Amino acid sequence: MPMTRKWLIDNQGLFFMAPAMILFVVFVLYPIFYIFGASLYDWDGINEAAYIGIGNYIEMFTDDRAFSVAIRNSLYWTFLTIFPQMFLGFALASILTSGIPFQNIFRIIFFMPAIISPVVLGIIWQRIYAPFGGLLADLGREIGAPFLIQPYIADPKIAIFSTIAVNVWQWTGFSMLMYVAGLQGLPEEALSAAQVDGASVRQRVQYIIWPMLRHVHLTLILLGVIGTLQTFALVYMLTKGGPNHATEMLPTYIFLKAFPLQSMGYASAVAVVLLVIALSASIFQVRVLGSRFTIGN
Amino acid sequence: MYKKLMLALMVLLILAVSLPALAQDDVVVRFRSWSPVIATTEAMIEAFNAENPGITIEPDITNYGEYLVDLQTMAAGGSLPDLIGLEPGALTQQYREHLMPLQDCAVATWGEDWEDQFFPVGIEQARLGNPEGDDNIYGLPVLVQTINMWYTVPIFEEAGVEPPSTYDELKELADMFNAQGIAPVMIGAGDGWIRRDVYMQLIHNVAPGLIYEAEDGMASFADEPFVEAMTWWKRLFDDGIFQIGALGMSHYPAAVEQIQAGRAAMFPMGAWWQQQAGNPDPPPLDQNLAGYAPFKFPDVTGMGAPEDLLGGIDVMMGVTRDSANPDAACKVITDWISGAGAQVLINTYNDLPAYIGLRPASFGSENQEAVWDLFTEEWLASVQYARQLKSPDVKQALEAALAAVAAGEMTPAEGMQMVQDANM
Repeated sequence: MPMTRKWLIDNQGLFFMAPAMILFVVFVLYPIFYIFGASLYDWDGINEAAYIGIGNYIEMFTDDRAFSVAIRNSLYWTFLTIFPQMFLGFALASILTSGIPFQNIFRIIFFMPAIISPVVLGIIWQRIYAPFGGLLADLGREIGAPFLIQPYIADPKIAIFSTIAVNVWQWTGFSMLMYVAGLQGLPEEALSAAQVDGASVRQRVQYIIWPMLRHVHLTLILLGVIGTLQTFALVYMLTKGGPNHATEMLPTYIFLKAFPLQSMGYASAVAVVLLVIALSASIFQVRVLGSRFTIGN
Repeated sequence: MYKKLMLALMVLLILAVSLPALAQDDVVVRFRSWSPVIATTEAMIEAFNAENPGITIEPDITNYGEYLVDLQTMAAGGSLPDLIGLEPGALTQQYREHLMPLQDCAVATWGEDWEDQFFPVGIEQARLGNPEGDDNIYGLPVLVQTINMWYTVPIFEEAGVEPPSTYDELKELADMFNAQGIAPVMIGAGDGWIRRDVYMQLIHNVAPGLIYEAEDGMASFADEPFVEAMTWWKRLFDDGIFQIGALGMSHYPAAVEQIQAGRAAMFPMGAWWQQQAGNPDPPPLDQNLAGYAPFKFPDVTGMGAPEDLLGGIDVMMGVTRDSANPDAACKVITDWISGAGAQVLINTYNDLPAYIGLRPASFGSENQEAVWDLFTEEWLASVQYARQLKSPDVKQALEAALAAVAAGEMTPAEGMQMVQDANM
């Protein structure tokens, strides 16, 4: 057998992998190296760049309040969206798998926000939140509930929480759907046995149902972290990251720096930090929480 | 018979193949911008083509944010279109290396004295931010504007009041309108540009021209006049001049919807507000601009408001160095500035023409015509200072500081120090 033919047969796996590897190198590895290279320059994205080493990183970690606010907001977003969404989604799923009338219609209604564009949601919720002429404020005036008249997205102290609330509202239906699927897949015998043994509803949920849905929890946490790190459209449309960066997230900050502020080098440095955070979060999840997600389980 | 049929089919086939090729003999000018809107742009192209057959214009109009991204991507990829929309200052300077000087195009079209045929502010701002000694014009102004205040005529008529000229009068009106559930001054202060526009008018009242000296390092943004203007800005919120929750609202479209619904007595905007009358199916207040009238920003210092207004270029256009058809691109730009395309543009009341003497073909009301004349014959001619700032960093810092001060997160002095730090 000629050497060439033998080599081809021995290494045929490479040819099957090649298309995926080429795509990975072109669309993942190259951009990462490119962005890392750009992060070492003072560059507006168009004209000649000036090499400044780690200057962008030094500025980011020592003299950039907006960046630290964006990091803080990412933490808020992670914890205040993922867990409320999980608990609300689980509660809704429990109700909507209990055989109540029209439960399929309710499932559709609760899931609908998840399929609406965040751009549309941003515009709608800006009108709902507006203290002058907004739905909540006008409702508050009509029914004599002045506490509804609040500067929800105008006050830097509460703007991020108001934004997170919209996100929770949007994605709770998705969590509900995941739990509905999980609940329907639970073995009937285990639940019946617990009931025969006299376990209360709380005990059945706490000791049997909730632990058996671990793969759903892990999936929602994974998707929640990924979603947090990618958050852009909703924030951009609702608050543009303001007021005074109060609702800034890393992706909105990258956009602000890269395009309106013409600092592509600095934006690349922020993107590198975002990449490191994303990688660390993924490794942490797989190592600490395990990898038994719904997908592939 | 069969042979004739085959021959006819062959002829048709050859024609089908060759006609597109013949059509492609047209010179193609690719145009990309955020303004004018696509419907207006297409009407301008039609008007241009009626007088200039043989040039095909391929427009691509997107919103401003998307446009910035596209432009940067195309520049990095070496595929900039022939003709691009520009703003004076930072945006034009960023792309300066990619733009052709346009003086020769201007001279060939309008003659040696071409600059005199434009409102001075348009020419001056076209060079905003050019390096010292570089007098080139990298973009020609198409539309210009003033920034000012507007009031809603029916609301003022019903209340039997006049537009305010001092801060005390403004405060008095604000108290009255607040009691009626009407926004005294409706502002979508969630948008940085409108915060900046109002501050620019305040500092212009306090110390005309000083902000441009600070940009050039000849004064400090932390100096007293800037802090004073910032203090006035804060008072506009604290005194209930602006509607409640202004910082959480966008100017477009949220505040505009409230204005159109007749829930705002006054609002900061600019000459471009006239375009409301040109929109399809305008609400009652917008029809023929019947519901609105402009006025100057009230005097806050007590020493008298300046006679002039701030303003500048709304949109300008440049020809890229990579353009395969710069002569055709020049023809397009100059037509859209002073020719048939320009007339179509002006007929939409989109904004004020940079080229002196253009006038909409018709007005829907006397008020609309009076407003046009006020802008073009009195206010625009008096514009001395720019609405824009040169540095994107200073602009961003100022917008952030205005939000922080309004929200009570910073004092006026701290806010202006932040702007000064960004100017280092």
